[in-house]
Amino acid sequence: MRSLARRRFHAWLRRAPCDTQGVARIGARQIYILPTRMGTALGGILALMLVGSLNYQNNLGLLFTFLLGGVALVALHHTWLTLLDLRIHARGGAPVFAGQRASFAVDLSSEGRRARGDLSVRAAGEAHPPLFLPGAEQARAQVGVPSQARGWLRLSEVRIDTRYPLGLFRAWCYARTDARVLVYPAPAAQAPELPLAPARRLGPEGGLGEGAGDFVGSRAYRPGDPPRHLDWKALARGRGLVLKQFGGDQAVEVWLDLRQVPGLDLEGRLAQLCRQVLAAADQDLAFGLRLPGLEVPLGEGEDHKHRCLAALATFGHG
Amino acid sequence: MAETAAAHARVLDAPRIAAAALLLAAACLPLLRHLPPQVSGFVGLILLLRLAALRWPALTPGRWILLPLSLAGIVVSFDAYFSFAGRDAGTALLATMLALKTLELRSARDLRVLLVLLGFLLVSHFLFDQSAWLALYIVALLVGEVALMADLAARPATKPLTTALRTAGLLTLQAIPVALVFFVLFPRLSAPLWNLGDQQPRHVTGMSDAMEPGSVAELVISGEPAFRARFDAAAPPQDQLYWRGLVLWHYDGRRWSRAGPGALPEARPLLTQAAGQIGYEVVLEPTNQPWLYALDLPLAAPEGATLNGDFELTARQRVTKPLRYRITSATAYNTGPLDIDQEAAGLQLPDNVTQRMRDLVATWQTAGADPRQVIERARAFIRGSEFYYTLLPPPLGANPADQFLFETRRGFCEHYASAFALLMRIAGIPTRVVVGYQGAERAPWGDWYLVSQAEAHAWVEVWLPGQGWVRVDPTAAISPQRIDRGGFLERLSAGTPLRFHMDETGLLVQTVHRLRLLATAAGVAWQDWVLDFSLGRQMQMLEAVGLGRLREYGLALAMVILASVVLGLLTLALVRAPAQREPLERLYQRLCERLARIGLPRRPGEGPLDYSERVIRARPDLREGIEAFMVRYLPARYRGLGPGDLQALRQRLRRLRLPTAQRSRGSGH
Repeated sequence: MRSLARRRFHAWLRRAPCDTQGVARIGARQIYILPTRMGTALGGILALMLVGSLNYQNNLGLLFTFLLGGVALVALHHTWLTLLDLRIHARGGAPVFAGQRASFAVDLSSEGRRARGDLSVRAAGEAHPPLFLPGAEQARAQVGVPSQARGWLRLSEVRIDTRYPLGLFRAWCYARTDARVLVYPAPAAQAPELPLAPARRLGPEGGLGEGAGDFVGSRAYRPGDPPRHLDWKALARGRGLVLKQFGGDQAVEVWLDLRQVPGLDLEGRLAQLCRQVLAAADQDLAFGLRLPGLEVPLGEGEDHKHRCLAALATFGHG
Repeated sequence: MAETAAAHARVLDAPRIAAAALLLAAACLPLLRHLPPQVSGFVGLILLLRLAALRWPALTPGRWILLPLSLAGIVVSFDAYFSFAGRDAGTALLATMLALKTLELRSARDLRVLLVLLGFLLVSHFLFDQSAWLALYIVALLVGEVALMADLAARPATKPLTTALRTAGLLTLQAIPVALVFFVLFPRLSAPLWNLGDQQPRHVTGMSDAMEPGSVAELVISGEPAFRARFDAAAPPQDQLYWRGLVLWHYDGRRWSRAGPGALPEARPLLTQAAGQIGYEVVLEPTNQPWLYALDLPLAAPEGATLNGDFELTARQRVTKPLRYRITSATAYNTGPLDIDQEAAGLQLPDNVTQRMRDLVATWQTAGADPRQVIERARAFIRGSEFYYTLLPPPLGANPADQFLFETRRGFCEHYASAFALLMRIAGIPTRVVVGYQGAERAPWGDWYLVSQAEAHAWVEVWLPGQGWVRVDPTAAISPQRIDRGGFLERLSAGTPLRFHMDETGLLVQTVHRLRLLATAAGVAWQDWVLDFSLGRQMQMLEAVGLGRLREYGLALAMVILASVVLGLLTLALVRAPAQREPLERLYQRLCERLARIGLPRRPGEGPLDYSERVIRARPDLREGIEAFMVRYLPARYRGLGPGDLQALRQRLRRLRLPTAQRSRGSGH
């Protein structure tokens, strides 16, 4: 019951929207502010000072009480201003496997010379140590969010807290973000053996096939060669287009197919496929991935691995 | 570059603990004068232990030492007052507890508690002392307190406390207008809600109810402000400004005192004639005595005071804080007939009247001489003989009047008044001595007249048939040449006869005198605008703007509105301040605005390089001017402003002509 009320209340809070570039700007109506425990205590003491000064008809005491109260009131406005016009831009980090912590970079920036201090970024319950923006500056907070299921992990909102400058008031605001991190399925602990199949294309030189396997040397590029075997490093060094050649007797192709993975539930089978993809990539095999309605063609290397993992991550999510 | 705090949670470090302890020590310093020595000593020792423990951590007391120490602190302050309530005991206990708290400053939370309570300790100072200097000192401590708060809230932590001090100074400055609004408009109580009054009478200078040689001179030397007055109409001339205090009847040969209780029956103030009425307001400094002062002669007592047959004003309570009253006096009057008791008291003689006194008086009492002639002859005697006026008269023995009249002939107003009154009594004229003040100084601003203790004076009243009691000031009879100008009399600007010859004094004396007057006036302004600001004054203000009918509600309403306006303006100023860019940015901004006017606005997020390239693509005719600007602007922006950069950019911006696009040239769309 209480958690329901809390959720309702939370949904009702205002959030700063983010624009198409993913930058949210905090407006005046999106800032919440309440006194801290210290602020409440000071308020109590101020009330005592006020009553005492009034009773003793001590004008100097009153003046001092009002000065201290004035400092607190001015500090209230400063705390509020610390968040006003703050720009928040969150971006997702590298993909992770389900269960790992997804990393988000939250950039805070401001224009103008007003210093903003004690900005602590909180995302999905994870807090980052406070940041200080001395003026028109940018600061970055890295927050980790635990991932649970495969698919896109979205950071729908971040909360920024501040008690700057005196710690008497705490202002906070919520900013929407469009940041997301791709979450691969967690690899299953065990998976079926890789369905190894002999390479379909064997080179004419008696088994020294091209296409997959170990690196055997370089040769000049010929039109029609697969671009992923281009030696980009050589190109960058000014040696022109050079092709890296792979080959060997053990060159095999692997097709990983969801239909060939046993099990009943889809997630479990995807997890096994994930393990297989990792295993295949580990062994530098050329492999392809077949999912219902989707096929990742044969390939190898880091990029290919991530392409396959991404396909697994988003399979069935449209 | 923004930095990230490595340590999130803050454990207090030694410099911050030291700063807190020193701030507390500074806050306790003015209390030394008011708290008993054992409490001050205990607080001092604890703070010393705190600072020593920072240097030698082994000294830090553990829990089992802190507990007995706290108990000892409670016992010490209870032992001093046998109470925890009331101003003195409460302050002593608070100071003790705060000092003890510094010994267990472990976390930021401990320091927060200390800082919040420190505000209370600071305000309690004003219960003891309300001087402007103390107020300045306390405000400085307030800035220190706010600085420690700012330092505590600055996360990530800044190294030096100076940053926090700057923040605190800025916040305090911004808080001043808010505080003033509240101060002026917060409705005051017209009477206290409860009375904790354990305020001990403090020693104040002022008249006593007796006069002997040296008593008035002592007052004059103190030179403190006595009271001030504001006249409804023009002020009377100086030689009429005799502020009546007490009437002394009884002379024992050395000392003049008031008539003992029952010596004179309570007479009603009676005037058969009263003219030259003048109304005025008086603000009396605390005297710890019930007597009030008024010009000769007050017609009726102000509220809370009584007027007796001697025209003495007596308040119902001792004056322990500045007292304001309105009163009307008549400058021309006749007190009417003398009753038999007054006559007896006015002719009472001590038993040390000497023969040469009687002989002297006899020379004036020629046949048929009426009292007026006797008085005139006595005045002529003082003027014609070698009588000197000095604050440092030679000491007088057992019969001061005789010795003064015939031997030393050097004295101050009380010597003259005393001797003159005695001679008049010998001559059979009913006489009494009046002590009070003579004269007043116009304040450098405002319409106040200031009377300080330097104006303390004693004079004589004689009873003349048909005229009643008439004032005679024997001191004014001294020849001006025989006023001691060498001593510090002048530097104190004291002495009634001097007042009549003020223009004869030197420039230095006048300058010193003016400075002193100025200081007094500043004190008056402080008293008037800060210490005495009351509900009555607030109502006057409210009435002036036509909201008098709203009473306290009007004040509260005006306060809320005005405070909101002040805070709103402040916020607006703070929000707009960042719009003021650096001069370099302003120049670039101007370029962008001008380009926007010819239809080439900068796109959001577009850098200066991309923007200028796009502009040149769209308007090749502007290439030269834009490039000239950018060549200088880009290095200045990204590598730092060099000397002459702004000047050159301003010039280039001025030279840039931006004709609106012509169809034929417009391209690149």
